[in-house]
Amino acid sequence: MKLIKKFLVMQLSLLMAICLSACSSGGGSSAEDPTAKTVKIGVLVSDTTSAEALSFRSYYENYIKSVYNVDFMYSDELKDAAAEQSAIDNFIANNCQAIISFASADRPAQIEKCETEGIYYAVATGTLTDEQYEQFKSYKYYVGAIGPDLAIEYQAGYDMAKFYLDQGYTKFGMFTGASVYFTEMHIYRAAGMIAAMCEAGNGDYEGAKGMDIVGKIMSEGGNVNTGKIGSVELNGVVAGYDFDDAWFGKLAAVANDPNVEVLLAVGSGQTAFAGFKPEGKMLGDIDCYTADSVGLMKAGTLNYLAGKFSASIGPIFAATLSAVYGKPIRTADGNAFALSQGYWIATDAETAEKYFEVDSSTTAPAYTKEKLDTLIGASYDDFAKFVSAYSFEDIQK
Amino acid sequence: MDTIVEIRQMSKSFGPTVALDHVDLTAYGGEILGLIGENGSGKSTATSIYAGMQNCDEGEMLFRGEKWNPSSMNDALKKGVGMIVQENGTVPGISAAENIFLGETKEFMSGLFVNRKKMIKDAQDALNRIGADHINAAAMTGSLDFQDRKLIEIARVMTGSPSVLVVDETTTALSQKGRDIIYRIMQEMKEEGKCVIFISHDLDEIMNKCDRLTVLRDGKIIRTFSHDEFEEGAIKAAMIGRELKGSYYRDDYDGTVSKETVLEADNLNLSNQLKDFSFSLHKGEILGIGGLSHCGMHTLGKVLFAAEKAESGTFTVNGHTVRNEAEAMKYNIGYVAKDRDVESLCLEASIKDNIAIAGLDKFAVNNFLILPKREKQYVNEQVESLSIKCHDADQYVSTLSGGNKQKVAFGKWIGRDSEILILDCPTRGVDIGVKQAMYQLMYRMKQEGKSIILISEELAELIGMSDRLIIMKDGHLAKEFARSPQLSEADAIEYMI
Amino acid sequence: MEKKENKRKFTSGKLLNLAPVIGMILMAAVFLAIAYMKDVNIPYSFKNILNQSIITMVVATGAVFIYTLGAFDISLGASMCVSALVGAMAYNRTGSLLIMLGVCVGCAVLVSLISSVLASVFNLPVFVTTIAMLSLLNAFALVLIKANGTGDVVQVPANAVRGINTVWFKLIVLILFLAFCIFAFSFMKLGRQEKFVGGNPICAALSGLNASKLSIIGFMMAGLGVGLGAFLTITYAPTLSRNTAGSVGMDVIISIVFGGMPVSGGARSRIYSAAVGSLSMTLLSQIMLMLNFDSGISQMVKAVIFLLVVYVSMLNSRKTILPR
Repeated sequence: MKLIKKFLVMQLSLLMAICLSACSSGGGSSAEDPTAKTVKIGVLVSDTTSAEALSFRSYYENYIKSVYNVDFMYSDELKDAAAEQSAIDNFIANNCQAIISFASADRPAQIEKCETEGIYYAVATGTLTDEQYEQFKSYKYYVGAIGPDLAIEYQAGYDMAKFYLDQGYTKFGMFTGASVYFTEMHIYRAAGMIAAMCEAGNGDYEGAKGMDIVGKIMSEGGNVNTGKIGSVELNGVVAGYDFDDAWFGKLAAVANDPNVEVLLAVGSGQTAFAGFKPEGKMLGDIDCYTADSVGLMKAGTLNYLAGKFSASIGPIFAATLSAVYGKPIRTADGNAFALSQGYWIATDAETAEKYFEVDSSTTAPAYTKEKLDTLIGASYDDFAKFVSAYSFEDIQK
Repeated sequence: MDTIVEIRQMSKSFGPTVALDHVDLTAYGGEILGLIGENGSGKSTATSIYAGMQNCDEGEMLFRGEKWNPSSMNDALKKGVGMIVQENGTVPGISAAENIFLGETKEFMSGLFVNRKKMIKDAQDALNRIGADHINAAAMTGSLDFQDRKLIEIARVMTGSPSVLVVDETTTALSQKGRDIIYRIMQEMKEEGKCVIFISHDLDEIMNKCDRLTVLRDGKIIRTFSHDEFEEGAIKAAMIGRELKGSYYRDDYDGTVSKETVLEADNLNLSNQLKDFSFSLHKGEILGIGGLSHCGMHTLGKVLFAAEKAESGTFTVNGHTVRNEAEAMKYNIGYVAKDRDVESLCLEASIKDNIAIAGLDKFAVNNFLILPKREKQYVNEQVESLSIKCHDADQYVSTLSGGNKQKVAFGKWIGRDSEILILDCPTRGVDIGVKQAMYQLMYRMKQEGKSIILISEELAELIGMSDRLIIMKDGHLAKEFARSPQLSEADAIEYMI
Repeated sequence: MEKKENKRKFTSGKLLNLAPVIGMILMAAVFLAIAYMKDVNIPYSFKNILNQSIITMVVATGAVFIYTLGAFDISLGASMCVSALVGAMAYNRTGSLLIMLGVCVGCAVLVSLISSVLASVFNLPVFVTTIAMLSLLNAFALVLIKANGTGDVVQVPANAVRGINTVWFKLIVLILFLAFCIFAFSFMKLGRQEKFVGGNPICAALSGLNASKLSIIGFMMAGLGVGLGAFLTITYAPTLSRNTAGSVGMDVIISIVFGGMPVSGGARSRIYSAAVGSLSMTLLSQIMLMLNFDSGISQMVKAVIFLLVVYVSMLNSRKTILPR
């Protein structure tokens, strides 16, 4: 009897604790004014641990939540389409009025579900394919998408490689991240880099040039091959996120290869190469602005950083909130918007530090409430103009 | 004589079972105190509590007049109380030396490492001291037989030079050599003014070795006999609470059996366990097979149930060869193994599960559908006919006493109406009451025309029960005796050694 | 008086066996209480909870036949992923849901069969062959996706499965499968024999039971559950990738333990453990979600509860054993 008591007491006390914390955080009020009622927004995330994911979350949690009457609910780390469906179900059960999605295992299914259930849906840091856009643009509950489209991803890779090629470097090593998992974003960035090498070296990548390189990489299962590209040499490539000894070994080998002058990463370059490479070797990365990355730039470990800024997800929030308030932002033909937004690029420590300061601020981030308020109920043209002026300098104006 | 062990008003329950009910027990220096009682009477429980294996619910214990409350068996041994347990008390995956110094490894630490050489040497010394010099202290414990593992345990306990030694039902599992070792240790301790508590079912043995004898029944002390009060009838009566009626073994000496052969073994060979072994078993016969523990008779039991394969030779059951256990069951053979807790029963399962498992094909409708009602009926028949002491058939076998466990093992095979029963040491660790019941059961089965192969290390029961007795030695058939009132243990022993 | 005390101890043991069910009911009560306070769409929530637990319930119920034997299959999730992929590809070729179902189940049963037969042939613990199968299946999933040539996913048209992506359909599948498993476990020889092999393999062999044969049948039952799970996964989320069913293996173990079944299998195995466990798990996840706990904290709370359940179940079995 003692035993069962013990078990029940343990279980009860645990549940009581949960109950109590529930009571303390309940609340909400009702009024005619839509802004008076807390708007619950579900956030779908496929990544909960990267620096980028954390900085996005921090912007919503530490800034947006403090200035708007909204509450965010986050999904667990979503690994597949089924997990996304479950997460959306969870949000609906908890009476969320809108969903902002950072997860892309099955976007069409997400959009279909939200449309059926009557809940607003917006895509952050990503875009739909042209076909998908055509299919869903007229959906009532589909708000729209803001993110670097694939052309911008391609360009980001191109610009980064060109930065080093222009300085006369010819020997490269690459980390292509999730390209082998067919993550398009990474494939396009890698293709952009190789395209720049083709131009500078006056050669081709296995017979392909420019945008065709994307198809070439796809046909090779997402793998990039080493070899000569005209006068430029690609002497080492690592892909995947295995995090095992073999993977780290490969990274160290490429980082220390004397035939590699510049290391280029499609993402997570700090994890991949920074710890291994000898001093003085060049490293360029596409990631985000964090204390760590700024530190690396100051130390000279990192020389080029194309980074998403955390407040870049401000406009999509404003558009979503606007839709919930009954003032959706639609194009002239009444469709959902599809806008693109690029990166902030820093090639010196001072710039990186400046970007980081603004980006990490919880009181005066890049997109403040004052700026975002102008978007609620805005016209499509004003909204599009606002989003396209994403460079640091434009925003500061 | 100085008082060493004192137990006052000790009580202990396991779930619904009252194991000890306000027990008082005293043992003195320079004596061997016998504890006797039926299975489940509380002998082991009381002594195991004193030796630190478990706690009591209430009561008080004293050791040399001081409060006694050991935290573990190791703790008790360090302070002077050692116990040799009934079941296997060694760890199989480590060496004999490591078992002997289990929990004492730090004594052999040199820096960060264990000095194995010294440990093995000290262990060998400990083994030699008790006269078990045939065991290699470096050997893996799992590779040794039951007796040698028991001797390792004894050596382990004796390294602590305890002033109280509890020997719990150990001797029945040992050969004469093993027994002699224990008897000698007990005698030496007695002479040194130390105290031995000796638990056994063997009345002769206990009357022979002990100075006093305490009888327990149903968790209560019934009576303590001084040496001059020792009298078999009185002790038995105290144990079972009534006079034993009728005879212990069967009382006829008619060894004639049917001509019909049900099992025929021809030149069985299996390494050094069976050598050209041939015999036949007749319908309605109790065939006793005896010998020293290692003579091969236990292996024979397994081979006849097809649990082990003979290297050469054949055996047939009613003309059929048997390739595996399932076929053995198909031809109506039942096998009660020697190691009850490991081979005969699943301890964590219920009585019902254990009895039903061998009879699924008997009560399942069309050998397919199991109806709870039919299953219950099938099991309850066995529980009732064997008088298994339990609340209901759903009780876990692990909560039963040794005798009742053995009845469950019998029930498995009797339930499915086995025509041939191979019984390997069926009365090991079973009290007199249950023993008598089992002998009566065997006899009844014989009369029903069933055939029994009774493998045993107890000559008395072999002679008392068998129609025919085969003595085995080193895997050979050494001698065959027909049933006769003149047959004595001495006759048989002559062919065993 | 004493007798009463004993009776009480005895029933407390039986009550403790019901602890998982009591736990589930408590969990449901807390869920309702919080849901009421926190402005939650309760009917939708119930539908959601069923939706989320049914697949685990089906797979875990099948897996009980493996766990009962004291065996363990680490490749359940991978097998489900491959079965779903093959099933989806079959649908895309034939356009028949029935064929898709057949292929899913057939593929999963085949995978189980290979694991268990290999183990039996080479006389290895099945666990070992399932480790090998895990790597093999993961690689095979990638090969399938590549062979299908549609980027990193294999898709079934969403409208093809929309008609059966309802809680009612899933409930019917669950109930039918559960009924079948309960029948096999409690009313056929299979369940008794498996429990016995799990409880004491030596004694089981000496009672005429063929452990290899039982293991093969047990794995096939589990395969059946995995195949149905794969089919339901496609209907729920028709876009499949290498990550599909990635968490199923772990969910199954946690559910079975949460449902009060000993990890070592044996006589105390219960077929309903899986269903009770996965419902409790989902309820717990929902409670944490309503409270908007960080996913790290949720994981920790789950881990603590998991350890607690194992601890209590071990206490239970230890205490009820009489030394002799």
